[in-house]
Amino acid sequence: MPISAAAVDKLRKKREVALNGGGKDKLEERRKKGLMTARDRLDNLYDANTFQERGLHATHNCTGFGMLDKVLPADGVVTGTGYVAGQSVAAFSQDFTVAGGSLGNIHAKKIVNLMDHALKAGMPIIGFMDSGGARIQEGVGSLSGYGQVFFHNVLASGVVPQIAVIAGPCAGGAAYSPALTDFQIMIKKQANMFICGPDVIKAATGQTCTMEEVGSAAAHATISGNIHFVAENDTHAIQIVKQLLTYLPANNLVDPPHKLPPTLSLTKHKSMDALVPEDPKAPLDMQAVIGKLFDPNTFLEVQRDFAKNLIIGFARLKGMVVAIIANQPMVKAGTLDIDASDKAARFIRFANCFNIPIITLVDVPGFLPGLAQERGGIIRHGAKMLFAYSAATVPKITMIIRKAYGGAYLAMCSKDLGADYVFAWPTAEIAVMGAEGAVKVLYRKEITAAADPKAKEAELIADYREKFASPYQAASKALIDDVIEPSETRAALAMALRSLLSKRETRPPKKHGNIPL
Amino acid sequence: MKKLRVTVEGKAYEVTVEILDQGPEGAPFNPQGVAGAPAPAPIVSAPIVSASVSAPVSAAPAAAAAPAGPGSVVSQLAGKIVAINVKEGDAVKEGDVLLSVEAMKMNTYINAPRAGTVKKINVAMGDAVNEGQSLIELE
Repeated sequence: MPISAAAVDKLRKKREVALNGGGKDKLEERRKKGLMTARDRLDNLYDANTFQERGLHATHNCTGFGMLDKVLPADGVVTGTGYVAGQSVAAFSQDFTVAGGSLGNIHAKKIVNLMDHALKAGMPIIGFMDSGGARIQEGVGSLSGYGQVFFHNVLASGVVPQIAVIAGPCAGGAAYSPALTDFQIMIKKQANMFICGPDVIKAATGQTCTMEEVGSAAAHATISGNIHFVAENDTHAIQIVKQLLTYLPANNLVDPPHKLPPTLSLTKHKSMDALVPEDPKAPLDMQAVIGKLFDPNTFLEVQRDFAKNLIIGFARLKGMVVAIIANQPMVKAGTLDIDASDKAARFIRFANCFNIPIITLVDVPGFLPGLAQERGGIIRHGAKMLFAYSAATVPKITMIIRKAYGGAYLAMCSKDLGADYVFAWPTAEIAVMGAEGAVKVLYRKEITAAADPKAKEAELIADYREKFASPYQAASKALIDDVIEPSETRAALAMALRSLLSKRETRPPKKHGNIPL
Repeated sequence: MKKLRVTVEGKAYEVTVEILDQGPEGAPFNPQGVAGAPAPAPIVSAPIVSASVSAPVSAAPAAAAAPAGPGSVVSQLAGKIVAINVKEGDAVKEGDVLLSVEAMKMNTYINAPRAGTVKKINVAMGDAVNEGQSLIELE
């Protein structure tokens, strides 16, 4: 017997109502403003017709405050799974047209169910955040909802990649769910994110500030370092998500999507020989090195506008996915400071979670000297880099281009922190400290006793530089595996990395190490 | 019970110390049996009163440095001015190198954040500058 027409009709009507979220007019209003709706975002993310929704018929369970008869379609969040460029991906998208996208108990439960599914099936989770915050009518129930989402963010951390798109308001406790994910993309203008906004700050402390200063994409991208990418609009944000996914494995048990050519070309790249400026004080542009060293147009820079003295990002090297950590001598002389250390350490740990080999490009004169750095805790922040590199068991290849001094040399994935290969260009200077400082310490007596102390000092400096400000002392102690010509770098790194793709390194089991935070 | 006087950075503190690990007859505990060996010095943690804890840290440079305003081009780091490539009244494009600051034996170029005209140069060759200090005003 065929199913009754009435039953089918009822389902279709229910579906129609739910799919319209807060109502057709509200959806149209958003589109007129140039904003995507919650479902538009998922339609744009997923390959056509691959989205399978779960929880369409969910609604709130609140009875107080006149909520009893109110229906909140899908409880203000669209959840489900589908395919992005053929890869399984789970996603949720908060619907601002339904009760301001507010998070209630069922809303949270839907997100948590989706995360559980993604964890079991081992697929990345994408979240579009667009919510006024906790659903006040549900009281502590909605708070509990946030708590459950946070807990599941942490369960998923290091198991499946998590990406959050801040596509609208993301205030108070809501901001902590994106903060627990791996990458945050924030859309200019339409999005803001903060714990306490300007009004609360004013009321509580009397301090006057603007939303631009507190919660804008610009503030988070450049100063707080809370976010990783700034998007112009919804379409751009989704493009970034898709591009990011091309570098990531589905979960921590599989390799990233390397595209291995059957043969490795060992062609020399002559243009790389011209990258190091002749003047030893003129800064090298690390962006130019990255542009030539990796496959053309594959570099995706992460946190581009934060701590610009250090560059991080994904790229491909002869098809292999790599995570790059590189000093940028054009900014702050390429020194390591508090922000740069935090930025590097977190990225190293992400790469290690998801089996992505790490390539470190070194041109570092040292840690940034200064009162603010010392008092800000550069010791514990810098220690994060030592910790993250030492703890990482993925393939680690280090390329010393120019300066590598003192503790900063060690912190940039030196041999002693477990680098599998360390290469250096002939221009590398690897030493405990610069020649001027070292000579003053080593030859104080000889200099003062000399007939012409200045001449003696200059002679000793030149001598020290010749002996120690080169890669050969380090190479003689086997701290460098090879000194190579810049033009040979692409081939040398690719060969080393191919041989390391089968790397296995096991450490004693433990809950986790105690990284200085 | 013993009374000790501990002097930290010129300030004296009176500390009362009770020695607990003594033998049954009140003799100092002496595992090696060496006659007359001194009792180990008690570990006293003197209160930290040095001025460095409470001294405010000023991010602003010490003498006569111009405050940073909306048109200011500021130094990324502390160092010494080793090149000034523009003069007052010059038109500059975004990205032009305006000055060089030497620090860590490297020159850090200070680029124009946007196109404009150089209204005022706040520093001279050889000046020591601090991080965040305004070097040039653009208009």
